[in-house]
Amino acid sequence: MFGDALQWLFNILTTTCILLSMPSLLTATKLSRSFHTTEVVEPLDLQLAARDILGLLGPNGAGKSTIMRMLSGDLSPSGGRIKICGYDLLLQPKQAKRHIGYLPERPPLHRDQSVDEFLSDCACLRGLTREQTRQARLAAKRRCGLEQTGRRLIRKLSKGFQQRVGLAQAIIHDPQVVILDEPTDGLDPAQIRQVRELIRELADERGVILSSHILPEIQATCNRLVILQQGKRVYSGEITPPEQLCYRLALEQNPDQALIAALPAVVSAERLHSDYFRVTLETGSRPSELVRQILEQGWGVCELTPETVSLEQLFLQATTGGEA
Amino acid sequence: MIWRLAWIEWRRLMRTPLAWIVLGLGLCLLSWQFLGTLEAFSGMPANHRNLGLSHHLGMQLFGLASVLILIITPILTTRSFSEAFRNGSYALLSSAPLSTLTILLGKFLAIQLFQILIVLAPLLLSLTLFNGTQLDLGLLASASLGLLLLSGSFTAIGLFISVQSDNPGIAAAGSYGLLLLISLLDQHTGGGSFIHWLAWPSHYLDMQLGLVRSSDLAFFLLLLLFFLGLALHRLDKRRRG
Repeated sequence: MFGDALQWLFNILTTTCILLSMPSLLTATKLSRSFHTTEVVEPLDLQLAARDILGLLGPNGAGKSTIMRMLSGDLSPSGGRIKICGYDLLLQPKQAKRHIGYLPERPPLHRDQSVDEFLSDCACLRGLTREQTRQARLAAKRRCGLEQTGRRLIRKLSKGFQQRVGLAQAIIHDPQVVILDEPTDGLDPAQIRQVRELIRELADERGVILSSHILPEIQATCNRLVILQQGKRVYSGEITPPEQLCYRLALEQNPDQALIAALPAVVSAERLHSDYFRVTLETGSRPSELVRQILEQGWGVCELTPETVSLEQLFLQATTGGEA
Repeated sequence: MIWRLAWIEWRRLMRTPLAWIVLGLGLCLLSWQFLGTLEAFSGMPANHRNLGLSHHLGMQLFGLASVLILIITPILTTRSFSEAFRNGSYALLSSAPLSTLTILLGKFLAIQLFQILIVLAPLLLSLTLFNGTQLDLGLLASASLGLLLLSGSFTAIGLFISVQSDNPGIAAAGSYGLLLLISLLDQHTGGGSFIHWLAWPSHYLDMQLGLVRSSDLAFFLLLLLFFLGLALHRLDKRRRG
């Protein structure tokens, strides 16, 4: 019993050490791209570690697909370097591409083939042997919910299933880095949920980069986010909202906003309409302090609601207001 | 990896109705020509027969085969790149661990594997007469080699045009234009000029008559390598954008 526990602890420690010592799966440094004289992607740094789901968010034409194409080796960058699992994508493309799974915006399917044939060909092109191909095909089909569609022609499948076949070809060779360009585009809500679950599952063992112009998509799936605007990174960071400092306040009394702003925990107060104020707290202050100070004044608190900084606000702030 | 890709592409091509329609029509036309040649030769009085049956087959049957190859090749090469660019399936290859050269040669060999079926047809039809008559096997071998080299060069030209455009219609029209141009270059030019030398019919004619000359071999091989080289350059440039 004690031996088992020791063994378990040892396994946990070893895994943690491996994860900590592992270099990031994908590193892009000063990645840029121009078409003729137009700079489509300005120099950009990206990093992806195992278990990361990095979302590239931006309006249409922001350069998301160009970045995805460069990371997958489909398009050479005009400048900068890309390292995948320690291999330089430009200098050692064959080794680097073994670790990449790529689903472009339009799934690259051969519509005259059956699902089984298509997936076998994809595995074969990735250098898998015949036996490995069979195993990989079964595993990829199971993951993407394609068990029942093996013999059907791809052109006869619905859009959702075709998208799943596209996903299956991207993961059939068990890559460390999975690059998905708008993976839920054109799917119905149930299919979107399934694809999201699949993406989260994939990220248990590898790193995933996905692009989208749909905010809830990124919010639901990713843990890190890069917002792009006209080929430029305007925000980069964790998806969890920053420290909450903004609150909506309703009081029993109706004091002047200057009096509220004069409270020690408050930086600024602004009257929204008759009964509501928007209050910004001092960094490090807690809402309980604000409530205590208001009660000391005898104003009485009716309502105190955090004003959440949603991804949408973040996105609008970043894309319209410059650097966030 | 080149052969692996060639095998995959060939198998994929053979799954399409297009391949079987092309093969079926090609065989029908060649058989018709074969029977016509045979009938004309057997009906000819003995004192009018200046050339043997093998020569007649070389000219008539292998002549038609070369025209068939000219018509078929752009249809096949257009599928290879232009259509793949358009429907997005090229990303499957460009993101796989394959070099541009591997992709180009794999696709080239896949088309050649298909063309060989057309190249072998006139030879096999002629060999059906093996028991009944004395065939000039050397001439048939030379004509078949000529047809193989011709199909290789045409494929290289077709692939070169195919990598230029995302529009299969434009790629097909371009391939036909270029192939017809090098077919007609010898029409109004002097016998010794370089432009005259660039036309393929005179080089192929030698081989149809059983003459394997190193200059003709060099012509076809140079044509093939030149256009494959250009196609490779263009594919690399496309990746660089």
